[in-house]
Amino acid sequence: MSDPILELSALNKFYNPGSRHQVHAVRDLNLAVEPGEIIALLGSSGCGKTSTLRIIAGFEEASRGAVRLKGREIHKLAPAKRNVAMAFEGYSLYPPLTVRDNIALALKSRRAAREEVEKRVAEIAHLLEIEDILNRYPSSISGGQQQRASLGRALIRDADIHLLDEPMGQLEPQLRALLRGRIKHFIKERGLTAILVTHDQTEANALADRIAVMEDGELQQFDAPDQLRERPANLFTGAFIGEPPMNLFTAQARAEGGALSFSLAEGVTLSYAEDAFSPELRALLNQQSAVTLGIRPHAVRIAQNGAENDVPEGARAEVYANQWLGDQSHVAARFAGGSIVSVEHDRTRYAKGDVIGVEIGVDDLHIFDANSGVAISHGGVVA
Amino acid sequence: MTEQHPLGLSIQNLTKRFKSDTALDDVSLDVPAGGTLVIFGPSGAGKTVLLRCVAGAIDPDAGQVLVGGEDVTDAPPEQRGVGMAFQNFALFPHMTARDNIASPLTAARQSKDAIRAGVESVAKLLKIDHVLSHAPRALSNGQKQRTALARALAGKPKLLLLDDPLRNVDAKLRFEMRLELPRLLADQGATVVYVTQDYKEAMALGDRIAVLNAGRIVQLGTPAEIYQEPATTDIARLFGDPTINLLDVTPERDGGGAIVRLSDQRLPLGPGFEQTIDHPCAIGLRPEALSFTEEADGVPVTVEAETPFNEKIVTLVTTLRGREILVSRPTGTPGPREGAARIVARPGAAVLFDRETGARIPPAPSDKAQTEAA
Amino acid sequence: MDHAPIWERWLRGVALILVVLFFMFPIFWILVMSVQTNETILRSPPSMAFEPTLQNYQALITGKLETQAGSLDIAFMQNLWNSVLLSVCSVALALVLGVPAAYAFARHKFRGSEDIAFTLLSFRFAPPLLVLLPLTLYFQDIGLADTYVGLIWVYQLICLPLILWIVRGYFEDISPDIEHAYRIAGHSWLSTFRRIALPLAGPGIAAAGLLAFIFAWNNFIFALVLASADKQPVTVGALAFVTASGIQYGQIAAAVVLSIAPTLALALYAQRYLVEGLSLGAVKG
Repeated sequence: MSDPILELSALNKFYNPGSRHQVHAVRDLNLAVEPGEIIALLGSSGCGKTSTLRIIAGFEEASRGAVRLKGREIHKLAPAKRNVAMAFEGYSLYPPLTVRDNIALALKSRRAAREEVEKRVAEIAHLLEIEDILNRYPSSISGGQQQRASLGRALIRDADIHLLDEPMGQLEPQLRALLRGRIKHFIKERGLTAILVTHDQTEANALADRIAVMEDGELQQFDAPDQLRERPANLFTGAFIGEPPMNLFTAQARAEGGALSFSLAEGVTLSYAEDAFSPELRALLNQQSAVTLGIRPHAVRIAQNGAENDVPEGARAEVYANQWLGDQSHVAARFAGGSIVSVEHDRTRYAKGDVIGVEIGVDDLHIFDANSGVAISHGGVVA
Repeated sequence: MTEQHPLGLSIQNLTKRFKSDTALDDVSLDVPAGGTLVIFGPSGAGKTVLLRCVAGAIDPDAGQVLVGGEDVTDAPPEQRGVGMAFQNFALFPHMTARDNIASPLTAARQSKDAIRAGVESVAKLLKIDHVLSHAPRALSNGQKQRTALARALAGKPKLLLLDDPLRNVDAKLRFEMRLELPRLLADQGATVVYVTQDYKEAMALGDRIAVLNAGRIVQLGTPAEIYQEPATTDIARLFGDPTINLLDVTPERDGGGAIVRLSDQRLPLGPGFEQTIDHPCAIGLRPEALSFTEEADGVPVTVEAETPFNEKIVTLVTTLRGREILVSRPTGTPGPREGAARIVARPGAAVLFDRETGARIPPAPSDKAQTEAA
Repeated sequence: MDHAPIWERWLRGVALILVVLFFMFPIFWILVMSVQTNETILRSPPSMAFEPTLQNYQALITGKLETQAGSLDIAFMQNLWNSVLLSVCSVALALVLGVPAAYAFARHKFRGSEDIAFTLLSFRFAPPLLVLLPLTLYFQDIGLADTYVGLIWVYQLICLPLILWIVRGYFEDISPDIEHAYRIAGHSWLSTFRRIALPLAGPGIAAAGLLAFIFAWNNFIFALVLASADKQPVTVGALAFVTASGIQYGQIAAAVVLSIAPTLALALYAQRYLVEGLSLGAVKG
């Protein structure tokens, strides 16, 4: 791998240090971004993602730790000297300038040729569908349009790194999927490096090459989207990533006569052949009194008719909702004292009250330590 | 038991103007008793005004509101026998959750014991029985939302008005409540009018959906009708995420039937579309109705970007003429990540619209039976 | 980045002290004057060296003023009582009338409602004499001149607009949905007003009431023109110390101290409400 373009080492941020209201917003964060990567900082509000971004941009000072961009230490530099571009969550467009001048400002201030400015503004405007509002002022356009203008102002710059704070939160829903595709293509084609901050995992999944999941100032996992989905490092990531969210059940593991079984609430038991699990994992499970089982909704398979005799009683579930959304069906059923949700890509016919059989393959089983939440295994192999 | 009127709610020719703006323009709707009608539309469409007219919080300029067959147009809100949950929850900030939920019961002058029992049963149902003594500001967003719902349900109203109740809760909670709500509402036996801006909620919860735009009902139908046969391009764009692909085309004659061309490939429209030949049209293709193919008759495209999305993978491709198309497929199925590829549409999945008016062009009726058989 | 340089903090401190001195000095000087005799007050140049005395306060409370020209009866305690009576009754009446009116203006926008509300406020801008001259004549005709009822009535010119505008802002701040929710739950509008609107606007009503009380208490011109000696509040009563034998600065100072004490105490006690109420009124107005 090449040298990282951006490196955060042992970054810490305290607010109100020393006072009673001290907040440890970022805790020992280490993060390396490769050139040309799109990184997402993902987490709920107050998780430290925005503080991190503002430290990189230079609007906040790190309490401890270093920020290196292209090998230079930038955390002592003024924001303007760091060569980073940023799109703000609150847009922060300059009110006395038209959308066109807002977008062109950075190019003009470095005295780019007029034809070049015009060409690049036109290109960005086409990308973001703001051609028809280029001559309007920020106060006279909608929130979604302001957000697109603000994105344009950041993307047009030739910066070492582009920082995007909740870049698509206010976009018109009908445009979102299309713009995601266009922006990703734009960034990739030009080899830009971008960090986006978002609370919306849909956005992070769609755009990012790697996602840093943060909670309570701490980095939970930093991985590619499919890795986060298939190999979550802990229960937090497992439950946080994925829409609809992962089904979770508390269970006891027991090995008996060549089978490994998990007893869930209300007498529900999931049994698997022992050799589906690696010996190492079996040894680990032996020491665990309780585990949390996680199953992704799309991995829950429904056996057509649960009332039939061939479905073991323990794997039966009663449907309480079947909602068709046009391209997916979400089936929710009472199962093991809680509910289990299955996602189907066709329109399914189950009705409220139907008894179905639930099948969960070993490959789709995520096992977490019930106390610490640390992942024990994914698909029968130790995590 | 007294016989129930077949219509839980009937709205007749309702009109409301604010100064020069027409918020509601001659809206008529019937909801059968015990049914759920979803009112869907973009913000500013008049959904909230409509709901408020039914609740009595706004007086309409013209038209009637009938609840259970009884004309309540001139009745004050407290005499309409409706329950309502608000988008911003509208909890009484100076009262505990218990007193909030009890408010419909105290109004009915029930005994102390009856009120206590009523509050506790509905609180248990909504899993908020452990926070009843809290003030609203001490509740989490999800608990506030449940308290607001409990308050609407507590009086056992015959008509329940839900004004975008899941708008202000986080995605996870919204998903859970969306699955839970139908059962909850069915247990109440009430007629439900549910207002939302989220097409998924509309599809999941409504027996029927009324699409409201600029104060008018532009389409009324089952979720399947609206998703598969949207009346206009605007409605087609409101339902579905990723958004439907709309491409300008002019159908041509090819052999017996009509076809359109994408990247110079023929795409047959199926029977019944002969009348559209040479007429400027827009073709609507849902991303999930498109898939990648190895066959040579697929439409050649260039893959621009791949954006994974809710158990789906959405790919942005461009045709030879640079037209952008979104294609989606379930997570875990293979597909190209870059370069040249070919796509194909599921037969019969295309919807044709008039390019001028945006109205859907249905297949000619004489051939309709044939289409359905296929 | 968060820490300003030392000299900047130092400069800020000096500026603060100057401002405090500027505003606090008159109050401090009045306090000092009130514990001196007329002789020490009138020394030139003024000096801080004097023997403090309580005789000014004593004179006010006993009602006997001893001067070189002899003993003089003063009605200061009566004036104090008048001030209390007039202010409390005026505010009470203004609340009874103003709060429902404010609610009506906040919730029911009818044709001309904004004009009516503004007209009511504009009384605050008019020079008091403009109102006073005709009122004096009318009051004499209908027998309201020199009565408590007449004064309380005129005081509504001070209290009512204030309460109307501040409380209206508070009512407008309550989401109408909260009231709708209570009505849909089955309660009448009257009970909604009592159980929802009033409690939620409580702090605003309290702030407006306090402010109106202070304005009423400090009023001078209405009482000067419309009330005779036995109905006069302290603001007018202090004039009695301008006697034929000279101005009794000591007693005036003591009278001022006594008369601002209640309002000052009230203002300090309710500072938070007041600032909130005032700024809200300002924004909404």
